[in-house]
Amino acid sequence: MATRTITLDPVTRIEGHLRINAEVKDGQVSAAWSSAQMWRGLEIILKGKAPQDAWVFAQRICGVCTTVHAIASIRAVENALKAQVPLNAQYIRNIIMAQHSVQDHIIHFYHLSALDWVDVLSALQADPKKTAQLAQGLSNWPGNSATEFKAVQDKLKAFAATGRLGIFSSGYWGHPAMKLPPEANLMAVTHYLSALDYQRKAAQVIAILGGKNPHIQNLTVGGVASAINIDNPATLNVERLTFMRTLMQETRDFVQQVYYPDLLAIAGAYKDWFGYGGGVKNYFAVPEFPEDAGGTKFTLPGVLIHDGDLQTARPITSQADDFLVGNIHESVARSWYEGDTALHPWQGDTKAKYTDFKPEGKYSWCKAPRLDGKPFQVGPLAQMLAGYAAGNTRVRTMMDDACSKLNIGLNDLHSTMGRQLARGIRACIMADISLEQIDKLLANIASGDQTYANPVEIPNGEFKGVGFHEAPRGSLSHWIVFKDRKIENYQAVVPSTWNASPRDEKGEPGPYEASLVGNPVADPEKPLEVLRTIHSFDPCIACAVHTIDPEGREITRIKVI
Amino acid sequence: MKVLILGAGNSLLSDEGFGVHLIGYLQAHYRFPDTVELFDAGTMGIMAIHKIEEADYVFIVDTVEADEPPGTLLQYGKDAFMLNRVPVKLSPHQVGIQEMLLVSEMRGRCPRDLVLIGIIPASTEPGTELSGLLRAKLPETAGILMDALRKLGITDSHERPRLGITNSLLQRGQSCVL
Repeated sequence: MATRTITLDPVTRIEGHLRINAEVKDGQVSAAWSSAQMWRGLEIILKGKAPQDAWVFAQRICGVCTTVHAIASIRAVENALKAQVPLNAQYIRNIIMAQHSVQDHIIHFYHLSALDWVDVLSALQADPKKTAQLAQGLSNWPGNSATEFKAVQDKLKAFAATGRLGIFSSGYWGHPAMKLPPEANLMAVTHYLSALDYQRKAAQVIAILGGKNPHIQNLTVGGVASAINIDNPATLNVERLTFMRTLMQETRDFVQQVYYPDLLAIAGAYKDWFGYGGGVKNYFAVPEFPEDAGGTKFTLPGVLIHDGDLQTARPITSQADDFLVGNIHESVARSWYEGDTALHPWQGDTKAKYTDFKPEGKYSWCKAPRLDGKPFQVGPLAQMLAGYAAGNTRVRTMMDDACSKLNIGLNDLHSTMGRQLARGIRACIMADISLEQIDKLLANIASGDQTYANPVEIPNGEFKGVGFHEAPRGSLSHWIVFKDRKIENYQAVVPSTWNASPRDEKGEPGPYEASLVGNPVADPEKPLEVLRTIHSFDPCIACAVHTIDPEGREITRIKVI
Repeated sequence: MKVLILGAGNSLLSDEGFGVHLIGYLQAHYRFPDTVELFDAGTMGIMAIHKIEEADYVFIVDTVEADEPPGTLLQYGKDAFMLNRVPVKLSPHQVGIQEMLLVSEMRGRCPRDLVLIGIIPASTEPGTELSGLLRAKLPETAGILMDALRKLGITDSHERPRLGITNSLLQRGQSCVL
C-alpha cells in the first residue's frame, strides 16, 4: 500500500495552532512531525522590564493557563532572591493552582477531547430510560435521571432537525472507530452540557482568592496580596471562605461522581487505546503544593522516570533540584531559530529564522527541550506515575482502583488512554487537595498567623532564578536572569513545549511525534485516531508558541499528499 | 437586565490586545451602573462561556481579519454567528463564539443578543502597546458601546473627567489592573 501523508492543520478543539504531519503506511502511522505554527514573543517583551512585574505579563501568554504562568514567574524571582513564602500565602496559592487544575481537566475531558470518543448523532438513538439505568449504575449523581437525559435528547433532536448540530462539527460521526453504545453517548453529551456549570465554580473560586479570573491580581514576590480578615466584610472573610468551600465541594462531587465514572466508561469501551500512543516513556514531574515557607515539604512528590521503569525512578524532592536545574537544554536544530546548539534556558536565545516547513530540516516554532539530552513526556500521567513510584498512598489507591476496575496493568498506562485516565485521577486528587488546603489555611489563620507576604526589595546586582510549577499540562518552568533590577533574559519552558517538541539535533522525535507512530488510521481522509492521541496530551500550543494566525470558522483541513 | 462588555485579545502582541486595552480605557474614562460588567477575558476562549451566559446582552470587542484597512471597525450580531454568516476571520481564541452560543442555547441560557465589535489590527508584533492607529480608535469604539448601551435604555453610564494618566498606564500594558 502506498505511503500517504496526512496533514492536520490546525488540530481542532485546541487552544492554538498546531500542525501535525502524519505519514500513514498500511493503515498505521509510520512517522510524524509536530509543528507549532506561530511564534511567541514573551521573551522579547520582558527584556528590560522589572522582575517583580514579569508575572503580570507572563500570565498573558495564554488565556487558558493564566495562573500557572503567574505562579511560575513569581517563583522564578523568589528562587533568584531566596525569598521565603509564608504558609498562608502557600495555601492560598495552592488552592488557586489546584482549582485551576480542576477547571482545566473538566474542560479538557468534556469540551476538548470527549468528542473524539463520543458520537453525538448516535445519542439521538438512545433510550433515555436505559441511559438513566446505565448512569445510575455508575454513580449516585442526582442529575442522572431519565427526565434529564430525555430533555437533552429532545434539544439535540431539535438542533438536528434544523441542521444545527454543527457545533460539534469537528466530531467524526459514524466513524468506524466510534464504539460507544447510544446510551453512553447520550450520557456523555448530557454531562458535556452540565460540566460547564462546574468549571465555572472553579473559576469563581480563583476569582475570589485571586481578585479576578482569568488573570489573577493577588501575587507579590514573597507571598500574596490577598487581604484575609475573618471578621471584616470588606476583605476575604469567613462568609466568602465558606462560600468558596461550598463551590469546591460541589466541583469535587462532579469530578468524582460524573467525570471519573464517565472516563472509566469510555476507557472501558476503548480498551485497545491502552495499547497505542505510548511514545516517549521518559517522564518527569516536579513536587507540588509546598506546605512550608522554605518549599521543602510537598503534598505530591516529584520523580524522574527513564523508559517507563518505576523501579529505577529518581526522586525530585525540591523545585530547585540541582540535576533538573542544571540539565535542561533547548535544542533549536529543527526549530525556526538561529543556531544549532542546545542552550540552557538561562542562556536561551529567541532569534527567529523561518525556513518554511522542512521535515528534514527546521519545521516548528517550538523549541525542543531536553533533560540530560533526552526527550521527556510531562503531564498528569507523569505526575501520577511519579506519585506511584514514590509510594504516595493517595495516588496509589486511585491508580490501583482504576486499573482493577478496567482490568489493566500499570504498564498499559503508557498510552493514549493512559493519559486520559491519569488526568481524570489527577482531577479527583486536585479537588480533594483544594479542600484540604482551605482547611489548613483556616486552621493556620485561627492559630493566629496573620502573615501573607514577606516583602522583598529587589536589590542591585545580577541574579538568576527558576520557577517550577507542576501545572495541569505538566511541568512548567520560567527562567529569569536580572541585573540591577531589570530583566536581562527570560525563557518559559512550558509543558506543551516538552510534549509538542520537534526533533532535536540527534533527530530524536518529541513525545507527540513518537506517540503517533503505530497508531491505527482506519480512514486517512478522517484521521480521528491521530486526533485522539494528540488530544490526550491536552495540547495548548497557545503557550508553547502563541498563535495569531486567523483560523476563522475553518475546521480541520486534511490534505492528503 | 445585565450587560457584559467582554474585551478579548492578547496584550503581548500589540494590536491583538485591543479588546483588553479597551476595557482599561472604559474603566478609566467612564462610570457604569452595576448592571454593566466590564470583563477582561484575555484569550480564554470557551472558558468564557459562563460569563456570556450570565448576561442578557453581550458585547465582545476583539481584532478580526478582513479585506479592510487597519483600524476599520466592523460589527456583527448574534444572527450572523448563529447562521454562520460572519464574513471575517477571527483570532483563534474567538473560534468558539458560534459554538459557545449554540451550546448556551442548548443549555437554555443563551444571551438575548450578542454583538461582536471587531477591528482590523495594524500590527501584531510582540509588544504591549497598541499602534498609534488603534490607540486613536479607543474613544470611537467606546462611543459605539455607549450608544449601544443607551439604545438598551442604560442611561446612567457617563464619561469621567479626563485625568490624563490613562495613556501612560495603557502603554505599560497594565490596562488589566487599572
